[in-house]
Amino acid sequence: MKRFVISFCISIGLAVPVAAQPLATLTNDAVNNHVIPAYDQLALTSGALAAAAVEDCDPASDALRAAYHSAFDAWVAVSHLRFGPSEVDDRAFALAFWPDSRGVTPRVLMGLIADQDPIGQSAADYAEMSVAARGYYALEFMMFDEAISNSGDTGYRCQLVQTITADIAATTAAINADWNAYAALLLTPTADGVYRTDEEAAQELFKALSTGLEFLSDTRLGRPLGSFDRPRPKRAEVWRSGRSARHVQVALSALHDLAGRLAGEDEQLSDRLDRAFGVAQDRLLELDDPIFAGVSDPTQRFAIEILQQNVNAIRTIVRDELGPKLGVAAGFNALDGD
Amino acid sequence: MTNRRQFLAGLLATGLAPSPTWADAGSPSYLSAAALPEGGYVLCGIGAQGDVLFQIPLPDRGHAAAAHPSRPEAVAFARRPGTFAVVIDCIGGKPKAVMTAPEGRHFYGHGAFSKDGNWLYTTENDYEAGAGCIGVWDVRAGYVRIDEFASGGIGPHEIKRMPGQDVLVVANGGIDTHPDSGRTKLNIATMAPNLAYVSEGGLLEIAQFPHDMHKNSIRHIDIAPDGRVGFGMQWQGDGEPAALVGLHQRGADIQLLTAPAERQRVMQGYVGSVAFDHSATKVGVTSPRGGVVQIFDAAAGAFEQEFVISDAGGIAAHRDGFIVTTGHGELGQVTNDQLSLGVRRPLAWDNHVVPIKV
Repeated sequence: MKRFVISFCISIGLAVPVAAQPLATLTNDAVNNHVIPAYDQLALTSGALAAAAVEDCDPASDALRAAYHSAFDAWVAVSHLRFGPSEVDDRAFALAFWPDSRGVTPRVLMGLIADQDPIGQSAADYAEMSVAARGYYALEFMMFDEAISNSGDTGYRCQLVQTITADIAATTAAINADWNAYAALLLTPTADGVYRTDEEAAQELFKALSTGLEFLSDTRLGRPLGSFDRPRPKRAEVWRSGRSARHVQVALSALHDLAGRLAGEDEQLSDRLDRAFGVAQDRLLELDDPIFAGVSDPTQRFAIEILQQNVNAIRTIVRDELGPKLGVAAGFNALDGD
Repeated sequence: MTNRRQFLAGLLATGLAPSPTWADAGSPSYLSAAALPEGGYVLCGIGAQGDVLFQIPLPDRGHAAAAHPSRPEAVAFARRPGTFAVVIDCIGGKPKAVMTAPEGRHFYGHGAFSKDGNWLYTTENDYEAGAGCIGVWDVRAGYVRIDEFASGGIGPHEIKRMPGQDVLVVANGGIDTHPDSGRTKLNIATMAPNLAYVSEGGLLEIAQFPHDMHKNSIRHIDIAPDGRVGFGMQWQGDGEPAALVGLHQRGADIQLLTAPAERQRVMQGYVGSVAFDHSATKVGVTSPRGGVVQIFDAAAGAFEQEFVISDAGGIAAHRDGFIVTTGHGELGQVTNDQLSLGVRRPLAWDNHVVPIKV
């Protein structure tokens, strides 16, 4: 209900506009210092992951595991930047099929392994495979799922790990390569371009920020929380490799970086964002629960719910204070249609 | 002195009344859910003059409603992924019954009555299977769930009945969600929306896009007296879609209603509601994100004009134009190419305004 009261305030003009920096300056900073370096890092670490798998495909290999963790970190740090190159040919979906509410990923992987399907022997062929069997989340099953990492033929599984990582490397390299040209579209809007005005370009980045926060709250935290009567710890994101809380941490820090750049020189807003992100990060540290197993324990669960509320508090600031600054409609239906 | 409404309400309680009609409910022309500024949600009956005739509390946020074809009774549906629907007696202004989605289903916020008003159909998510279904409720037995059938797709959203027949049209939005992940969309890469025509639980016809438009979620529909279906879409892909509005007539191909590029961009890939005007020569759509209403010429299949209306949500035929509801509490009218927004009531009209066609 709070949001509704706030949108009333905006509509009658209580929001005081701050002396505005040109939107182009904000977009420039966000693209050059947030988006580009993050996709660079994704391509770099994913290339290293594929190389590590060629070197040693054993899921227990320390080198492979280390490469897996850094590439997955890099993915989480761009997972909110879902526009342009990441959406060409559904690339981002092929990197990250999650949530998987119906368990398609393990089912498809089990099928491939059982049949020793030759599609698993070539990264080029594998690009035609169902997105559920591709990307970082499928790789997690291959490396960390008790049943899948021990099923079928070791040689075939080894090859499948190499294929999946090579496919990831190719996809991330393609996204990164396309960003060179795409950045120009955001930085220099033109009448017939994808972005016609600086406002549209800034709003694309704003949308990435707000959907990233929504996904963090509803899905990364919301899935394991389930309901009080029915907590769902096994629905936590990549719990098999112990990364659930790590994803929240990396996502918070990436979203904080983007929010700060979009707030620009508005110090009052930046301070409020810093504080709100700081509260959430501190809460996460205090939790000390890598896979949110505590959702089933009433006391610990309460702390995770508070963390979710902390994220929602960030969303409120972003929606009600940052959004209007960037010219995003803040009405009841505009924010929450269906 | 007892007025006719109170008198009827009293008679109803004794079971002696003649069947009350919509006229006894003060003849509302429209229904709309709303949020109150102090908190709380309601369903309102709106008169032809734009006056609020009644306001009935809802347990949580509503979405759309369905009006019984003859009896002054309406069903207000919970917003997705809600599981309640409230049957409202529009004379007494009181909830009459509460419908609860069965285990493993949630509502999408829309429903439609059969021609005789004896059955209510609701769009639902069979979320473990990831399949759309239509719930069937026995109205005479007090809105009891008796059956369900497949909606012909995933993510069925708005459902309406073809005029004069018991054929239902379902906008299967194509998007798979599961309540365990809130409103997170699970299948954008493979989504395939459609318009499905169903009757007596059987699929009669499906209208679908070619693959390059498969991320254009068909969400809302209106039906002209001659059976043409107007639909509004919500684009889930990157960049700009080919169109956001379309028409379909059974047996024919989908016809897209395109707008000039610069006009379509204003819509931000999002149609909130769609309606034909009374003459069914025009199709109006709202975009709360773009803060506009756009009108299309249905015969020529062409964009006609645009009105800037901040937070426009619901739209329905009104006189020789449209009524438009906004999140700022306005009941606007678009008539003869003129826009009049009227006063801001202290409430936020929610997403849809539903005409009562008696």
